[in-house]
Amino acid sequence: MSTAGPVPDSVTTDRWDTLARAAARGGRVDEEELDLRQLLTFQVDGAPYALPVERVREIVRMRPITPVPRVPVEVRGVISLRGEIVQVVDLRMRLGLPAIEPLRSSRIVVVHGESGQVAGVLVDAVTAVLRVPPDSIVAAAAGESGAVEALCPRGEDFVSLIDLNRVLEIDAGS
Amino acid sequence: MPRRSGGSRQSSKADQEFISEAEEILEQMREGLADLADARANGQEIDPDRVNALFRSAHSLKALAGMFGFAPIHDLAHRLEDVLDGLRLGRVSIEGPALERIDDAVKLFAAQLGLVGDEEGLARSRTAIEELTASIQQVIEGEPSGGDGFDSLDLDPSLLRALTEYEEHRLRESLRRGRHIVLVDATFEIVSFEEGLQEISSTLREVGEVLSTLPAPGEAPDSQIRFSLLAATDVPASELGTRLPGGEPSVRVVSSPGAPSPAKPKRRAPEIEPEGGVEDAPAAGADPGAMESLKSISDTVRVDIRKLDDLMNLVGELVIQRGAIGDLISRLVSQPGTARVGNDLAKVHKAIDRKLRELQSAVLDVRMVPLRQVFEKVSRVVRGLRRDLGKDVRLEIRGADTELDKLIVESLVDPLMHVVRNALDHAIEPVDERVAAGKDPEGRIRIEALQRGNHVVIEVADDGRGIDLAALRARAEQRGLVEADETLSDKEIRDLVFAPGISTRSEVTETSGRGVGMDVVRNNLTALGGIVNVDSLEGRGTTIAMTLPITLAIIQSLIVSVGRQRYAIPLNAVLETLLIEASEIQRSEGRELLNLRGEALVLRRLATEFDLPSAPSGDEKLFAVVVGMGELRVGLLVERLEGQQDTVIKPIQGPVQAVRGIAGATELGDQDPVLVLDVAALVEDAFRRREAA
Repeated sequence: MSTAGPVPDSVTTDRWDTLARAAARGGRVDEEELDLRQLLTFQVDGAPYALPVERVREIVRMRPITPVPRVPVEVRGVISLRGEIVQVVDLRMRLGLPAIEPLRSSRIVVVHGESGQVAGVLVDAVTAVLRVPPDSIVAAAAGESGAVEALCPRGEDFVSLIDLNRVLEIDAGS
Repeated sequence: MPRRSGGSRQSSKADQEFISEAEEILEQMREGLADLADARANGQEIDPDRVNALFRSAHSLKALAGMFGFAPIHDLAHRLEDVLDGLRLGRVSIEGPALERIDDAVKLFAAQLGLVGDEEGLARSRTAIEELTASIQQVIEGEPSGGDGFDSLDLDPSLLRALTEYEEHRLRESLRRGRHIVLVDATFEIVSFEEGLQEISSTLREVGEVLSTLPAPGEAPDSQIRFSLLAATDVPASELGTRLPGGEPSVRVVSSPGAPSPAKPKRRAPEIEPEGGVEDAPAAGADPGAMESLKSISDTVRVDIRKLDDLMNLVGELVIQRGAIGDLISRLVSQPGTARVGNDLAKVHKAIDRKLRELQSAVLDVRMVPLRQVFEKVSRVVRGLRRDLGKDVRLEIRGADTELDKLIVESLVDPLMHVVRNALDHAIEPVDERVAAGKDPEGRIRIEALQRGNHVVIEVADDGRGIDLAALRARAEQRGLVEADETLSDKEIRDLVFAPGISTRSEVTETSGRGVGMDVVRNNLTALGGIVNVDSLEGRGTTIAMTLPITLAIIQSLIVSVGRQRYAIPLNAVLETLLIEASEIQRSEGRELLNLRGEALVLRRLATEFDLPSAPSGDEKLFAVVVGMGELRVGLLVERLEGQQDTVIKPIQGPVQAVRGIAGATELGDQDPVLVLDVAALVEDAFRRREAA
């Protein structure tokens, strides 16, 4: 017997989610809801951080990182992603926090930079995908590392929005 | 759904499966039909994708019915395929009864599905199916097949005959929509016809549609090729003429909307008028030739380079896996119990190995393209610049047939352009200056490619003013790259053009005549595994030689290790390896040296170069890997040699753009990436840089 109904593919899943939730509320699709910004949140040193999901290509588990000489310390080295060789930036060190040995929960978030180049960002754990209205995001005063561009309230806490361009701007001179 | 009579046959599970699948297909067909009917009612062009989808549905239904043994349904679906195929190719008009018949068929199918399991009912409905099948057959045959309605067109019949069925359909459709039909004839140099053709095609596409591209009948000089493009446009031919690019294309009007539209589907077209209004028809001689070259064009397949990359990656992985199998075999062979199996396996392995190498070279061969296209691009830019700069320069190009990997050719465009631009812009003097210097007023730039073993050397030579060494040195001192009292050979000074600080400043460019972004050129080439050299004679000219590997293919590397880190050194840079005692190392001016057959070999510890933790240096043994670039030799000190491996050098992606001394990375059998050393940079550093300590 053939099965009924198409299975939504991953591209449309979010929209399906939205529609499903709207259906649960009585069939009303909130137009605004379709415009929500989606953020991938993760933990670094116990604090929540986030990146826009559209910059994230994939999330991979910790794997051996080959150190690269003559680069700044926050570049932990390179990994192989199905044959692509990609540098991994330790977000802890980039934020000016002390380095630690990778945890069981550590993940490498593979992102693409503005010019399309690919890089890995090492975080302590990946937590969730948030949907937030764009106007709830407030600009942040520049911190020391310059890596946080905005804050997004989440209950009592703030999630720090990472400025990916700044994070990937690493001075090769050191 | 019709009621099922008590029936001679219970509907089985298999029947149920058939019904549900068939119902799904019918549903799709109903949707497709409704869309087409709407399009027809609104007078829109029919979407070929829609018809194709319907065709696929009919095909699936036919296959399904065949599989479950429902012959009448199978036959009817087969007829549907025919009529849909006719619609697709424009043989059957959508205006006619075709859609209605298809709709009838869908209804009949649905009724049939309700009768599955009821033999009697099925038998009764057989006549209905046969009738419909026959009437569909009529729809197909009823269409004019010979009367193509093209007789009023001012077109060479040989050209009309060369059109494919689909192209004919598009022509007919364009006529029906009242578009201007034009024939654009253009002559191209064979070497660059693809680009020229592309240019004309895209211009035509802006205002309409290219119906067909055909080699033009008639004679063309040896080095040239003529094409005719049959196009339908929304703008009149007079306007089109002004839009078309160079190559002196001629535009001829074949039909304009004012003329009676001949393409309305006719019932049973009368006799075709023998060559009525057709004039100037050199059909006889040209026809076979035209057909022949048409064929040679369709023998070529355009492939996205990324697909070739995937293919090459796969082959690369296979080669690496093969290495792992080799290791396993040698383990089997070395143990008494498994030696025989091991030996047998080794034979098989060898055979696979041979085929794998053939596959590898076949894949690489597909990626090879001649440098011609790049050279043509460069010469176009030179022609433009020459005008802008008001300089009189002759460009000579040699070796354009030399082949390189497509990817390398692509990445070569920018560096090459840069070097040539520099030569034209800065190196070649203005005419009066040249005359004053007793030179030919016309400057010369020569671009030459030649293959040397596994490398291709591309030289860009000019007869301009050459590099002003004194000015270059002064600039380097100013930038703190060189000490005022440092003794440098002319070559060392010349190489300073590649130093980052220098090249971006325009002052030096103006006095030295060279250097804009030469460090960028060098970095680009290094990323491709290439090197760049500069040679220059003041007042006489400069030659920049870029040496590139023919492919980014698999190369043999020597794997070495220091502490826990492994590195790959391309074997073609390795001259020899030496096992030495720490006590043999001598020191001079803070440098470590080794007496190698009477000559002083400069040693560099990889651990120190790369700031790696390594075993404390006591009386241990070390390996010196002697690497060379040109006449320079350096012994790289490492702790262990791990053996030779096939490696594919890949670029490193990420925020840090270029790491001095690292050419890229490779994967060995395991997943760990291993860094590949940039031997040229390490050797250079060993000789140029002052000891940092």
